[in-house]
Amino acid sequence: MTKDTGDGRIHPAAEMYADEYRAGLIDRREFLARATSMGVGAAAAYGLIGLNAPARAAEHMQQGGTLRIQQSVKGMKDPRAYDWSEIGNQSRGFLEYLVEYNSDGSFRPMLLDSWEVNDDATQYILNVRQGVTWNNGDAFTAEDVARNIAGWCDKNMADNSMASRMGGLIDQDTGQAREGAIEVTDEHTVVLNLSAPDVSVIANMSDYPAAIVHSSYEGGSPFDNGIGTGPFRPVSMEVGINCILERNTDHEWWGTEIYGGPYVDRIEFIDYGTDPSAWVAAAESEEVDLLYETVGDFIDVMDAIGWTKTETVTAATIVFRGNQEAEVGGMKPYSDVRVRRALAMAVDNAVLLELGYSDRGRVAANHHVCPIHPAYADIGPAAFDPDGAVALLEEAEMADFEHELITVDDDWQRNTGDALAAQLRDAGIPVQRTILPGNTFWNKWTEYPLSATQWNHRPLEVQVLTLAYRSGEAWNEAAYANPDFDALINRANAIADADARSEVIAEVEQLLRDDGVIIQPYWRSLYNHHNGNVVNGEKHPAHEIHLYKIGFAA
Amino acid sequence: MGLFILRRVVVMLLTALCLTFIVFFLTNLYPNLEKLAKTQGNMRMTDEQVATWLGERGYDRNLFVKYGEWLGVLPGYVVEAEDGTVRGRCIDAGMTPEEAPRFCGVLQGDWGYSTVFREPAGEIVFKRLGLTGWLMLAVMCVMVPGALIIGVLAGMREGSKLDRSLSTASIMTTATPEYVSGVIFIAVFASSAVGLKWFKGTATSAMDNITWENFTLPVLTIALYGMGYIARMTRASMAEVMTAQYIRTARLKGVKFRTIVLKHALRNALIAPFTVIMLQFPWLLNGVVIVETLFNYKGFGWTLVEAAGNNDIELLLGVSVVSVFVVLVTQLISDIGYVYLNPRIRVT
Repeated sequence: MTKDTGDGRIHPAAEMYADEYRAGLIDRREFLARATSMGVGAAAAYGLIGLNAPARAAEHMQQGGTLRIQQSVKGMKDPRAYDWSEIGNQSRGFLEYLVEYNSDGSFRPMLLDSWEVNDDATQYILNVRQGVTWNNGDAFTAEDVARNIAGWCDKNMADNSMASRMGGLIDQDTGQAREGAIEVTDEHTVVLNLSAPDVSVIANMSDYPAAIVHSSYEGGSPFDNGIGTGPFRPVSMEVGINCILERNTDHEWWGTEIYGGPYVDRIEFIDYGTDPSAWVAAAESEEVDLLYETVGDFIDVMDAIGWTKTETVTAATIVFRGNQEAEVGGMKPYSDVRVRRALAMAVDNAVLLELGYSDRGRVAANHHVCPIHPAYADIGPAAFDPDGAVALLEEAEMADFEHELITVDDDWQRNTGDALAAQLRDAGIPVQRTILPGNTFWNKWTEYPLSATQWNHRPLEVQVLTLAYRSGEAWNEAAYANPDFDALINRANAIADADARSEVIAEVEQLLRDDGVIIQPYWRSLYNHHNGNVVNGEKHPAHEIHLYKIGFAA
Repeated sequence: MGLFILRRVVVMLLTALCLTFIVFFLTNLYPNLEKLAKTQGNMRMTDEQVATWLGERGYDRNLFVKYGEWLGVLPGYVVEAEDGTVRGRCIDAGMTPEEAPRFCGVLQGDWGYSTVFREPAGEIVFKRLGLTGWLMLAVMCVMVPGALIIGVLAGMREGSKLDRSLSTASIMTTATPEYVSGVIFIAVFASSAVGLKWFKGTATSAMDNITWENFTLPVLTIALYGMGYIARMTRASMAEVMTAQYIRTARLKGVKFRTIVLKHALRNALIAPFTVIMLQFPWLLNGVVIVETLFNYKGFGWTLVEAAGNNDIELLLGVSVVSVFVVLVTQLISDIGYVYLNPRIRVT
């Protein structure tokens, strides 16, 4: 299914993980995520633990057809500024990625052929896939990879979300890639020299803003440029209406002989708005084949009309946080750790999972590290003590303060917020609920005093912890600034070995909980539905739709 | 008559000018501009980034100057950003600053650029107006004849069983809002819940290809709501005419009831409903928001919602101008139509 790493060298840590897997210390998914991010190909990784890589159902698929996907169609922008998974899907047919994250937790090389990581994760050798061409006929080389990585490092581009993930390559003074950080050693090899160890480089290369663009692309909508390496070509798109791709018959796609596909001739993303009942109507009218995501009670509704459900367990979650710098009536209610902890103690996470998300997930423990993350450390469930919570609030002289809990008007987030508010009221803590429509809510999502935010799944725990809780990060919505935390997370980012890292992560988890930074009630399973004819349309933990894999049942 | 039309056109221009200025003022309030910057740039931008973004795109200048530029009476701005890229109102993609025209406003036929849809605002407005036009046409074809027939049947014999049952039905349809009747129709005629599945519960495919299946429910939803209202007006007007002296005279002369209704009463009875029907146009144009959203038919109402929700300034202005135009033109037609229906009225 995939090639092994170039020279057949297996990273020592990967062999260690295999031992751990056999000893039952980690599960298969976790093993795959760890081993493949060390540069071991998926097939080799399966081999290490004595399994055969799962064969894909290619023989059951027919060639051709139009795949219609219900999905919001959002405005295209420079890939580095992508802020929605949907935008990534819209261009994924022609703009490919170096690495692909798969729902079994493994990383699979795409435009890279393989990669090697040195033992302390400061040097990455990227072997660029040979025989890949752009759809205008140009050859795809190491220069293309280096140019794109350099582009990710551009801190001067205001909305470049890749810059914060490429810290080890950036010269902080110029805000550009550091001299010597990205070396092209030959036509098919790029060496990355990091200033500090970073274990998440490969995972970051698989994320949706990391789409690889051609040298002629100069910003704006990639649909206008249209040059990519993928098997489809852009046809048209209208924001809020539809986005159409078709199979690029003039272009020989490298992946056909390696991974198979593409199977369908035409792909239409059709926007049916944000109301799930409209998606059901579209499904019942046979106007779509595949739903982007099915949420809440609509999972049962879709089951009832006879569509096929797919499920993926993820680290996607909802986080309630007080913004520690936000002012309400002249004071900062959530700057007091007692207030924050009291709110967390007054809430039973299992109830929120049941009422807010109909038990479709796993109970979480207020520290934003999921059991499927490689370096997860079990520090026990979060405390539930409503009486203690009220006592803490009284001590802080905040017992009478009326909290205003803001959520977006979105089925499950609203329900979870309502359940949380109800629990606070049960404990005797006054709380008021505010529900804002999506287009208003996201304008100031980091600034609300007390609100809920959905966080997508990320393959490694250090990714989300760095992004969301390190001081001064753009997405640090809790305005959390704790030097101890920063020191710990920087240390964790330097430990390539997930087992060793999990000791630091245990401290991080405890610190987040002691500081009462978040109430993080549960991990969501994600679902989607298809009409029963779609093969390989399973929900992906990061909402990716790998268009080349999908086809119709023969 | 010519003077009358001219006066109306001037009023129309003035109204459009005032309305667009109000819309322009509201959409250019700073919080709205901030929202625009964040939806266009990145939702997680800082305040400084927002200020730079707005500055580079000329949003941070005097309101009247910006409005003048939109109208096309003042030259478009040209701003040089810190990194040396030059942006200007009149500089389109692929154009150098030297090539760009000095003025590019409504007077020059440039309706501006929609920030949400990333297309020229004029194109979007007319494309979406066309889609709503089809919906309106279908609704009018169902609603007007239906309402008139019901109204005339009910009004010609006031107090009869037929009158009572038709009146009750009209009141019921008018009292049921579209978001209720639409949902009921989808549940009954388009879902597995009831199992009829005669029609489709979404009109998205009707944007490319209108069929019986995908267009019936949205049309019916709107038509029924308006139908009851017009039917009630027609009934009242008809009932009044039927009590007039000349109808009694005709009956005493022995004219057939059918002839009385069709030849003598109908024309007089249609004057009041005619105004109501013409008033339905502006209502349909913007009132279809609910139905367009419910059935996912991306027409004019949907565009209005998207433009307002995302503070898309130039698209909103375009929508406003078109709305003013449609409202005043239909009222003009209704005033002129009056003269033909009722010779006692003169337009001077």
